[in-house]
Amino acid sequence: MARVMVVDDHPMWREGVARDLTEAGHEVVATAGEGRQAVRVAPAARPDVVVLDLQLPDVSGVEVIRGLRAALPEVRVLMLSASGEQQDVLDAVKAGATGYLVKSAAPAEFLDAVRRTAAGEPVFTPGLAGLVLGEYRRLAAGPPAPDPEAAGTPRLTDRETEVLRLVAKGMSYKQIAERLAISHRTVQNHVQNTLGKLQLHNRVELTRYAIERGLDD
Amino acid sequence: MSTVPTSPGGFEVPLWRAIAVFRVASLAYVCVVALRHADRYAHPLAAAAVVLVMAAWTVVTALGYARPSRRGWPLLLADLGVVLGVVLATPWVVGRAALAAGVPTLGVAWLAGPVLAWAVSGGRRRGTVAALVLGAADLATRERIGESSLTGVILLLLAGVVVGHVARLAVTAEERLQRAVELEAATRERERLARDIHDSVLQVLALVQRRGAHLDGEAAELARLAGEQEAALRALIAGAAAPPADDGPADLRALLGRYASPSVSLSAPAGPVPLPAPVARELAAATAAALDNVARHAGGRAWVLVEDEEDTVTVSVRDDGPGFADGRLAEAAAQGRLGVARSIRGRIEELGGTVRITSTPGTGTEVELTVPRQRT
Repeated sequence: MARVMVVDDHPMWREGVARDLTEAGHEVVATAGEGRQAVRVAPAARPDVVVLDLQLPDVSGVEVIRGLRAALPEVRVLMLSASGEQQDVLDAVKAGATGYLVKSAAPAEFLDAVRRTAAGEPVFTPGLAGLVLGEYRRLAAGPPAPDPEAAGTPRLTDRETEVLRLVAKGMSYKQIAERLAISHRTVQNHVQNTLGKLQLHNRVELTRYAIERGLDD
Repeated sequence: MSTVPTSPGGFEVPLWRAIAVFRVASLAYVCVVALRHADRYAHPLAAAAVVLVMAAWTVVTALGYARPSRRGWPLLLADLGVVLGVVLATPWVVGRAALAAGVPTLGVAWLAGPVLAWAVSGGRRRGTVAALVLGAADLATRERIGESSLTGVILLLLAGVVVGHVARLAVTAEERLQRAVELEAATRERERLARDIHDSVLQVLALVQRRGAHLDGEAAELARLAGEQEAALRALIAGAAAPPADDGPADLRALLGRYASPSVSLSAPAGPVPLPAPVARELAAATAAALDNVARHAGGRAWVLVEDEEDTVTVSVRDDGPGFADGRLAEAAAQGRLGVARSIRGRIEELGGTVRITSTPGTGTEVELTVPRQRT
């Protein structure tokens, strides 16, 4: 079972989620109502999984994810959002979150998502898959990278695109594996790769930006 | 942004003021010319009277054109009439012999007044008409049409065209600015509402749904209802973009946003998917028809995926109904189970797009609508 930290500004929601997690056998090692507080207590609490509400009163979800990953590079972040799949969800994924769920998801669905996130599996909603597909297309349509030697624009392989499209159309990994005659594990790897490339590209871009601005020291 | 003129006609005010200044300045020039040549006029007293009329008319127009409500046809026609009168009186007042000997006309540059007024009030075309009327009258009063009098007419014509053009530009620019300001205000208001709703209503609805899911009977029903409302509200916030203009580009995502519900998942890029408004509307209508079909025949659970590619925009609608084996699609269509397929096909083919329907037993049916992206 996983060590979980719950970050949400709504006290009732925080308690409800923590209770569900404890009942399911997880250990809730910390709760926080604000982003800065979460980043501060995380190193001592050492959670495996952080369940993070994207809309916090003090700092953006992206900043919290960066702070958490800087303090605990192995931590996995499962985002929750009440307002649907939008730019902030995509930004959070690029910053390193590996799972996403809308807040209206059923408790069973939520517990399953925590278990999978702890096991290192990406948790995608169809909406998130649509966002990621759109992001790859946006990057491909944009101007080419100024330095061709650098990591360059990330691209999806045909198979990755195919898998992502099926996820976006609401098919389960199992259904996708059957449709494409590949293993469940392979489907998972494809989905994971699509995230990995985006996150790597995001880090490279941030570094390049920092160097250009002379902030690298 | 508070300094931006938001009342209609705001950009025209400086133009009308400039015309008034021009009239006064040109009147001063008229006086100088008249004093210098008074001894050569055939009827000097009449010339003085005409100059007085010109001075009075300059005051009348300056006051008249200052009010937007008075800038209509009566004043414009009277303006042209008075100046036309000055032009026609000139040969008798100055004398044909004096004119032929090189004495300037009475009006000189003051004649351009109504041309500018017409141009500012109605654009190039009106400016041209006024310039042609005055120019023709001026030429008709001369015995011999010299190069300098022709030049004067051409200058009058050019002034009418150019000022009319600039006036039109100012009006268009103002309209655009006005629209942009309105749009920005609407967007900001919507974002504020979305934040408020998110912070309060959505959180509570999600909470009710979550806690109620463990309970039985009526409480569970209430929780389910709360969940439905939460999803509907969420879709509304996400999709409720400013209403598209009739001819401008529309965001397909926003149009499809209203179909999202607990049973219909919508996946789309993070940014807008702009299409010409009629194309976006037709594509959204075809999507709605496909979703209708799902609701009627395949249990209602559906996933919509919007893909914005370089040359095409694709909307896929998948359901998890029973589906059909290969070759049974035609049969199903005949039974009316794909009855709307024809109307979908009609709409999409009208846009130069294609419809692909695939189905396998067990994984439901998928309708893929693809339309070409028109280059602008």
